[in-house]
Amino acid sequence: MNLYNLAFNNIRRKKLRSALTMLGIIIGAATLVVLLGITAGATSAVKAETDQYMYDVVITPASSTGSYLMDAETVSKIRSRSNLFDFREVTSFRENVDGKDVIFEGTNDWKQVKLNGTPGVVISQQVADELGYDIGSKIKVKDQELTVTGIETSQVQSLYVYIDQDTAKQLVDGKVSAIYARTNGDPKTVADEIEEQISGVSVETKSEKVAEVQEMTDQALLFMGFIAGIALLVGIISVINTMLISVMERTRELGILKATGFTNREIKGSILFESGLLGLSGGVIGVILGIAGIMVIANVLKLTEYIPDMMPLWLILGVIAGATLLSVLAGLYPAMRASKLNVVEALRNE
Amino acid sequence: MNNYIIEFKDVWKTYNMGNTEINALAGLNLTLEKGSFTAVMGPSGSGKSTFLHVAGILDTPTKGFFRINGKQASKLSVKEQAKLRRNEIGFIFQRFNLMSQLTILENLTLPMINEDTQKAMNILDNMGLEGKYAKRPGQLSGGEQQRVAIARALINDPSIILADEPTGELDSKNANSIMQILHDLNRNKDVSIVIVTHNPEAAAFTDQILQMRDGNIV
Repeated sequence: MNLYNLAFNNIRRKKLRSALTMLGIIIGAATLVVLLGITAGATSAVKAETDQYMYDVVITPASSTGSYLMDAETVSKIRSRSNLFDFREVTSFRENVDGKDVIFEGTNDWKQVKLNGTPGVVISQQVADELGYDIGSKIKVKDQELTVTGIETSQVQSLYVYIDQDTAKQLVDGKVSAIYARTNGDPKTVADEIEEQISGVSVETKSEKVAEVQEMTDQALLFMGFIAGIALLVGIISVINTMLISVMERTRELGILKATGFTNREIKGSILFESGLLGLSGGVIGVILGIAGIMVIANVLKLTEYIPDMMPLWLILGVIAGATLLSVLAGLYPAMRASKLNVVEALRNE
Repeated sequence: MNNYIIEFKDVWKTYNMGNTEINALAGLNLTLEKGSFTAVMGPSGSGKSTFLHVAGILDTPTKGFFRINGKQASKLSVKEQAKLRRNEIGFIFQRFNLMSQLTILENLTLPMINEDTQKAMNILDNMGLEGKYAKRPGQLSGGEQQRVAIARALINDPSIILADEPTGELDSKNANSIMQILHDLNRNKDVSIVIVTHNPEAAAFTDQILQMRDGNIV
């Protein structure tokens, strides 16, 4: 039997109180793991999307042109540049259909459009609902009739019509709203050259775009960490409370320990060990529950492929270490009080 | 190096009760030899318990010089004082002061400097507590609990045992049995023992009786 066994015994014999104290830490740790994990996973998902669809540069009409489309001549100039290759064009334009402003979006990648029906002219559910179109209906746009072949099923809350990129481009006389391309040489240098030599275009490099996304996700991570940190802090405050009550209740016991020769440092150590043990146990259980929560949420959000990214080792170990360390710190004040008890008065305590 | 286990020279312990000062010890002068068995008696408030607490380094005197087994406790750090208590002094209290959540054996092994379960069991056996190692204090009679407390006081082979009303909560049969154990320890193990008591029958087991009044020996 030593003081550390005694501390362990103290937690065991006050099962309900220990469990309630741990509950605060468990909730805090689980919240931290879930929020930071999901944010980290979402970050990975966004990065993966960015990596997949972003080329080295994105060329769009400069805002000074007042247009969201580049004309055929500009597109031709861009495509003829020797330092650009592997082009992907996107044409997106608005058109009035039956009195509503509908966005027509050119696409080459039908995998990105979750559809009921076949690729071709796919309308969003909103178009189907608000304008009364269905598979087989004809949409008239710029004097052409397009037959609806599918309905987009991911519940985009806008009036969208997805059409083949070539068709979209042809409908607006060869105009394009964005050109993605790879570069020979440094993307930044190439981007500067294009902006200098072709008027009316704006060129953004992938690294700028990635940095933008990174900044956004970093901010989200920080915000989520702050919210979850508050949850953990509440748990830690319950450790201070429990340890203070425990020290008060055990005044006589602490007096006996002092009378039998335990040093102040040993007594402080046992209180800190006890609070640390509460933090460690709460942290481990919280992380396990957090991981379970992530699994559920990832399944609901259909982000299961990013589950490994949602549970980085730094997060799991960090939360456990953080909960333990903060609990030890929470035990400091009660431990100081315990070590400063007057032995004679403590022994008189009922 | 003298032969004293306790030396008090002009030791004062003053408490402030509002505007009034109360001298629990008022210039106490006292020397007790190693191996002695002493009873300290006196009316309530005479300073008996305060003397015992100061001698056991549980309380600090307001002023004065005192030594325990040749060591001047007031010159030691708090940590060294705790070590001195653990190594040299065994306490026995009126209300036993055992840890209720621990077994009898654990009560003994907890303060041991080097945990030695066999030694703890041998001491319990010598106190007539064989077979009760796994019981908790609440499962024992008062007499048995006090014998556990004596066993605990002996666990680190102290030079001195300080007992505050060790028979105060016991019937006369158990009280005599406890005093006999202390007497035998003093005789056979050469442990110095000081008991504070109101009980003349208990005091009769000792070699010398000191009477205290108003914080001093009379």
